[in-house]
Amino acid sequence: MPSNIKYSEEELVDLLRKKDQQAFSYLYDNYAAALNGIITRMVDEPQLAEDILQEAFIKIWNNFAQYDNSKGRLFTWMLNITRNFTIDTLRSKGYRKQKKISQDENSVSYYKDKNYSEERFDTIGLKKQLLNIKPDLRVIIDLAYFNGYTQEEISKEMSIPLGTVKTRMRTAINELRKLLQ
Amino acid sequence: MEKEEIISSGLLEMYVVGAASPEEAVQVERWRSEYPEVAAELLAIEQSMESYAGANAVAPPPGVKNKIFASLNMVSAQEQPAKIVRMSSFRSMAAAAAVILLVGSCIFNYIYYNKYRDADSKYRQQQQQLASLNQHMNDMDNDMSVVRSKYSLPVSLSNVKDAPDPNAAAKIFWMKNTGEVYVDPGNMPMAPKGMQYQLWAFVDGKPVDGGMISSKDGKTYSIQKMKTFGKAEAFAITLETAGGHPEPKGKLYVMGKI
Repeated sequence: MPSNIKYSEEELVDLLRKKDQQAFSYLYDNYAAALNGIITRMVDEPQLAEDILQEAFIKIWNNFAQYDNSKGRLFTWMLNITRNFTIDTLRSKGYRKQKKISQDENSVSYYKDKNYSEERFDTIGLKKQLLNIKPDLRVIIDLAYFNGYTQEEISKEMSIPLGTVKTRMRTAINELRKLLQ
Repeated sequence: MEKEEIISSGLLEMYVVGAASPEEAVQVERWRSEYPEVAAELLAIEQSMESYAGANAVAPPPGVKNKIFASLNMVSAQEQPAKIVRMSSFRSMAAAAAVILLVGSCIFNYIYYNKYRDADSKYRQQQQQLASLNQHMNDMDNDMSVVRSKYSLPVSLSNVKDAPDPNAAAKIFWMKNTGEVYVDPGNMPMAPKGMQYQLWAFVDGKPVDGGMISSKDGKTYSIQKMKTFGKAEAFAITLETAGGHPEPKGKLYVMGKI
């Protein structure tokens, strides 16, 4: 996230509820790249990815009244909209959810090449830190967070029992939180 | 479940990454409002995932923001490079529109110029036809006025023996009040090139020049005024070289006595 925050999340939400265009502009400037990171993980075609990002932001604007801040942070809500829309779009075009990640999901270099080489973003230090997470822990986070896998799909993809998925996820995110502290 | 159990279950993490089932999601939301510790834990998880998403961010292509704003009918003020793209795309669209208009205009000009030319030439033709019809009608009027005049004395000029054309005929209308002589040579064959019919009036047994008969269009003869005679015994028409002679030299075509 860019650090030059002008609005607090509460202010931003409040303005967006009032359909403030300046706030929407700010929202795009601060969150579009993060959401686009998720879209481009799932979508190979640049034009389709661009269309999805565009549509997702239009949905965010049009459906903003549905955002309930007692149920989570703004970004979590936007990410859910974006991810669900991406999955729906891919499904409607006949893609399978697994398509992109299933090539080599356990390889660190795959993630390294594909997703962590984005030098334009100013969080290179953070990225390096994140590379220190054990690959099998990163995979479980990424499958759910970036690829929209359900528990069952994660269980199948990683060949771990369904009951283990939650605890493995907890372990992975705890690891992440430690790195971020 | 105790709040410690909830926190350590992994359900909160599943909820934040979007992998919880709908039932689990409802449960987590209830816990969030029930236990401040759960709410705090959820917030911490969300924030760390937000950072993780930020670390994996991919800058969108320039111009997307403006497309979004354009489709929502908003003016995007902040994305400068994209603004230039939008301007140039507007310009290129304007240029494309101008070219289309120009080409369209040229085609229309061409089509309408041709139509105009056609219409103009038709109009001219019509005008000429109208003028010739008018001329024709005036001639007819003149002819009729001569024929109808109560003073006019018609004299039929008919074939003579050994006449060059057995079908040739003519009529004289001699105005008794004024002495004016009109000839209707409508049944005379057209005089050959370089030749002209000449009218003669016989006064006291001698032919006197009555004038040259001419054709306006070279195709037909209409009634025309000749020289005036106070008295005459007969009229005749001969074919002479153009311009005529004081005395008849050419062949006699028709003749009629009064």
